[in-house]
Amino acid sequence: MTTDAHSVHTGDTSTGIPSAKLGMWLFLASEVMFFTGLLGATIVLRAGMAHWPRPGEDLSIPLAAMNTFILLSSSMTMAMSVAAVHQADSKKIRLFLLLTILLGTAFLGVKGYEYSIKFAHGHFPGTALFWDCYFTLTGLHGLHVLAGIIANLWILWLTFRPNFLRSDGHRVELSGLYWHFVDLVWIFLFPLLYLI
Amino acid sequence: MSYGKYFVIWIWLIVLLAAGTFISTLPISKTTAVGLILFVSLIKAILVALFYMHLKFERLVPLWIVAGFPFFLIGLATLLVFAGIVSG
Repeated sequence: MTTDAHSVHTGDTSTGIPSAKLGMWLFLASEVMFFTGLLGATIVLRAGMAHWPRPGEDLSIPLAAMNTFILLSSSMTMAMSVAAVHQADSKKIRLFLLLTILLGTAFLGVKGYEYSIKFAHGHFPGTALFWDCYFTLTGLHGLHVLAGIIANLWILWLTFRPNFLRSDGHRVELSGLYWHFVDLVWIFLFPLLYLI
Repeated sequence: MSYGKYFVIWIWLIVLLAAGTFISTLPISKTTAVGLILFVSLIKAILVALFYMHLKFERLVPLWIVAGFPFFLIGLATLLVFAGIVSG
């Protein structure tokens, strides 16, 4: 097994975990610490403030719930793309990757619309501590969504190369792990900023 | 996992999303609301990690340690949110 193409490209090691997968999990662990620090800062700042907007007071819960719906749906299509890799079904890999990319783009579109409303109301980073937290957390999360879209676009391009499944099939799973992580961060940002 | 099972997980995620959003509109105490909403979010996160990220099917202990650490931190952060918001 150690000499076949799959093993060479995924870098199986003595740990029994492909190096690329282990590397992705280590990266995600560092990403969790990155976001946990920011979330912690938001909580500490919130606890020290006399006024903090009530749920629905300044932010639109329906818009955010719709965006959560979009991102949860994109996680499903991403998982289905990984399943298609295991079935060696290139058409479905591409279809579900494309759906994931479109849903991710829709998420950013809704977020951009939300930002435009805030800007129209004069809410910018620097106008209040709440808005500093809001724009920092959602902005950095949005950049992560954008990075995930770019990664998936790159993999979509790779799927058209010959021998994709043998040489690069595992990349769909790696990109999927990252995409689900971005979804996980939003699962916590949504209640923290909008619901409680 | 089959496409059908991923779809069933998605249904659960959407039901939990609706439940969390609905709870935020209920006239209940802040402590109860925050606790319930964060509990619902934690279940959502666990569903994504176990099924979409395939942690349920990973039998390798090292990966569980690497993967488990961030989720331990998320759990810790959730507790901090709860304590911070309830007291704030």
